[in-house]
Amino acid sequence: MLKINNIKIEVNTNNGLFGAFHSFKSGLNIVRGNNTSGKSSLFQAIVYALGFEELIGGRFEKTMQSVLKDQVEYPKSTFHSVLQSFVLLEIENSNGDIITIRRFVQNPNRKSQLIDVYFGSLLVNDTLESRPMFIHDNGGASDINYGFHLYLEDFLNWELPKVLTNKGDLRKIYIQQVASSFIIEQKSGWSDFFATMPIYGLNNKEARIVEFILDMDVYGNKMKKQELGITKRILENDWLNLSKRFERFAEKGGGKLVGLSQSPIIINNINEINILLSKDEIDYSISNYLDLIIEELDILNQVETISVKDKIGDNETLITKNEEKLNQISFDVEMISSELTFDNQKLSNFNYQLENLNEDLRKNKGASKVQKMGAEIDLKVSENTCPTCDQEINDSLLPLSVKQVPMRLEDNISFLSAQIKMLDVNIESLESRIIAKNKQLKNLRGSQSNLRSQIRELKKELISDERLPSIIDIEYRLNLKKRIEFYSKYLEDLSELKDELSTLSVKWEGILGEQEKLKTDTFSPNDITKLKSLTNNFKSLLTTFSYSSKTINDIAISDENYLPLAKKPNDNLFYNIRFDSSASDFVRSIWAYTCSLYKTSIENNGNHPNLLMFDEPKQQDMSISDFTNFLKELSTYNKAQTLLFASFENSDETFIKATEGIEFHLNHINDKLIKPIE
Amino acid sequence: MELYAEKITFSKKPISIPPEYRPSYSIALIVLILKICCQGSKSSLLKLHLINWALKSNENKSSLKKFVLSNYTESSKTWGIEPSLNRALNYSVHEGICSISNGKYRVLEKGEKFYSKILENPEFLNEEIEFLTFLGKRKITDNRIDLIYKKWKNQNA
Repeated sequence: MLKINNIKIEVNTNNGLFGAFHSFKSGLNIVRGNNTSGKSSLFQAIVYALGFEELIGGRFEKTMQSVLKDQVEYPKSTFHSVLQSFVLLEIENSNGDIITIRRFVQNPNRKSQLIDVYFGSLLVNDTLESRPMFIHDNGGASDINYGFHLYLEDFLNWELPKVLTNKGDLRKIYIQQVASSFIIEQKSGWSDFFATMPIYGLNNKEARIVEFILDMDVYGNKMKKQELGITKRILENDWLNLSKRFERFAEKGGGKLVGLSQSPIIINNINEINILLSKDEIDYSISNYLDLIIEELDILNQVETISVKDKIGDNETLITKNEEKLNQISFDVEMISSELTFDNQKLSNFNYQLENLNEDLRKNKGASKVQKMGAEIDLKVSENTCPTCDQEINDSLLPLSVKQVPMRLEDNISFLSAQIKMLDVNIESLESRIIAKNKQLKNLRGSQSNLRSQIRELKKELISDERLPSIIDIEYRLNLKKRIEFYSKYLEDLSELKDELSTLSVKWEGILGEQEKLKTDTFSPNDITKLKSLTNNFKSLLTTFSYSSKTINDIAISDENYLPLAKKPNDNLFYNIRFDSSASDFVRSIWAYTCSLYKTSIENNGNHPNLLMFDEPKQQDMSISDFTNFLKELSTYNKAQTLLFASFENSDETFIKATEGIEFHLNHINDKLIKPIE
Repeated sequence: MELYAEKITFSKKPISIPPEYRPSYSIALIVLILKICCQGSKSSLLKLHLINWALKSNENKSSLKKFVLSNYTESSKTWGIEPSLNRALNYSVHEGICSISNGKYRVLEKGEKFYSKILENPEFLNEEIEFLTFLGKRKITDNRIDLIYKKWKNQNA
C-alpha cells in the first residue's frame, strides 16, 4: 500500500518565503481548485517527489510548473523570482512505516536527481536522520543503498519481476511503468490506457504491468518461455557450429555436403545427410565410392603388371589430352587471379571509405551532442541564429556566398548511417565473392599441379626402358590403396559426426514439444479467475458510468495485453475499444479500467498500491451525473486512498451537485496554491 | 529528339557537410583546444589553426604526433588555414565563449561552462580529447610555432 499523508512545498523568493501544505486521508480526497489555481502543480509535485515525473513527460525539474522553478505570481500580476524550492512528501506503507521525501526543484547547488529520505514523519519530529538517494541516474533503480526507486520498491513490499526486453536480455520492470496504471495525468493521461508509461525497451509493456498488478501466475510460465527461448538460441548456435564442422569435414575429403540445413530441424532419417564424392563426373555416396575403388583395385590386382611398351600408344594420347586440359586451366587461373586482384583492391577501397564514414558519423554525433549542450548554455548558434544580428544562419560555417543548404544534423547522421549500411552490404558480398574465388583458385591450382606431374610422369615413362613395368600403373595402384584406407576412416568419422547431429535433433524435438505445451497452458486456473473478475468489474463499471457507444456484451478484455476490446454486434473480430467509442466514452472506459484494476487486485490479493490519482477526470464535457457516479464509486474504496484533482467547472454549484451524498475529504485551493508563509 | 515530359523541375536538396563546418561543433573544438592545450587558456590564432587542422583527420593527427615525438626534428607538414575556423572564432567571440586581446584568444566564463558540460558527457568526443590531452599545454607552444614559421621562411627565402 502506498498512502500519501501530506505534502509541503516551500518556495524561497526574492520577496520572502512562499509555500503550501496539504494533508490527505484514506478514502476519497478531493482537491478542488479553479483552473489556474495551481491544482495541477500540486498533482505534479506529488509525482515529482516520488520520482515519477516521466509520467508527466520528462526528467528532472524541467517537468515542473514555473511557479516552482521560475517565478511565483501572488497576488495576481505581481511576480517574485524563485531562489530555491523543494517538495516534502510524507508517505506510509501497509506496515504503517512512514518516510518523508525531500526533493529540490530549484537549488543551484543540488542536482535534482538527488533526494533526501527521512525515516519517519518530519512533521512530528524534525530531528530525523536522512539519507541521500538517487533517482534516474545509473543505479537509481538498482543501487541497494542509494537507489531511491529500489528503496521505494522495498518500502512498498513489492518485488518487481524481470521481463524480456526488445534486445533479448532480462530486465526488471521499472516502478514508473507500474505507476502509470494508477496515476492518470491531465495532459496526456486521458488519451489512452497507460498513456504516460515510459517505454524502456520493454516488450508488450501494458501486459507485463497488468500481470504484476494482479499478481498473475502467467509470469512463471512466461519465465519458462524465456528460459526456453534461451536454450533454443544455444541449440541453434550449437547446430550452426556443427554444420560448419560438417562443411569443413566435407572439404577435407574433397566431397560435397548434402541434406544438412544450417538451422535446427527434426531429422527423421539421418542417412539423408551425406557427403558426395565425384568420380568421372558422377557423384557417389562415400560407401558407394569405396565399393567402386575397391573393385577397381581388385581388377587391377588381377591383371598382370603392364610394361612400358604396352602402354606407349595410350600414354601419348593421354599426354595430349592432359596438355589441353592444362592449357584451359592455366587460362582460368590467369583470369580468376586478375579478377581477384581487382576485387581485393576494391575491398580495400571500400574499407577505407567505411573507416572515413564511421569517423564522420562519430564526429557528427559529437556535433549533435555539443549542439544540444550549446543550447543549454544559451549559445545562439546552437539555435541557428547569429549572436550579433539575430538573423537565421543555416548551421554551417561555409561562406555565405555558397548557396547550399546543409542538411540538418540529425538528417546528416541518418544519411551517413544509411551510407554505412549500404557499404556494409557491399563489403559483405564482396568478401564472400573473394572467398569463393580464392577457393576456386586453390582448386584450379591443385589440379594444375596434378596435371603437370601426371604429364611429367607420362613423359618420363615414354623415355624409360620399354621392358620395365609401368611406374604410373604401380603408383596408381598404391594411390588407390591409400585412398581406400583414407575413405574407410573418413566414413567412420562421418558417422561420429552424425551421432552428434542426432543428439541435437532429439533435443530440438524436445524444445519444440515444450514450446507447444507452454503455448496452450499459459494461464493457471487462478489467472482465469482474475481475468474473469477484471472483465466483470470493467463491464459493470462501464454500465455504472453510462458508457453507451457499444452494448456491454460486445466488450471484452484481451487475453494478450489485457486491454479492453470491442466488437461489432454480429462479428467475432475484436479490436481496440478506442476505435469505436466516442471521446467521452473513451474517458469513461479509462475510469472504469483504472478502477477495475484496483478492484480486481483487492478481490484477489494483487499488488495494487491501493492508491489512485486522477488529475481533472471530468474531461470532454462529461455530464455531472456521470461524474457523480464516478466519485460515488471512488468513495466506496475505503481500503484505498484516492486523490482526485478537479476544477468542477470553477463553480460552487457544480461542486455541490457533483458531490451530493458522497463522503470525502476536501482540500480546497482558495485563490492560489503557492501563497506567502508567515 | 522528342521529349515526353511537359515540364521538368529541379529542386535543391540539402547537402551533407562535414561536422567541422557546424558552428557548435567548431566552437566546442575551440573550447577544448583552449582549455586542454593552452597555458592560461589562451592561444594565438596560428596555434588554433594548427591543432584544428590536426583534429581534422587521423593522418593529420599522427603527423603532428610524429613531429612532437621526434623532439621536433622530423620535418613537420605544412598545416592548412581553414577560413571556417575563423568564422567559428568570430561566433565564439560574439557568443562570449572567448575574447580576443593582443592577438590572443582567451576562454571566458561561458566557455568554461561549455567545457565542463562537454566533460560531463564526452562520449563521442573522446578521441579528440585524448589527442588534445596528449598534446597537453607544453608540447605545442606559441614559441614553437614561431620557430617552425621562421624555418619555413628561411627555407623559402
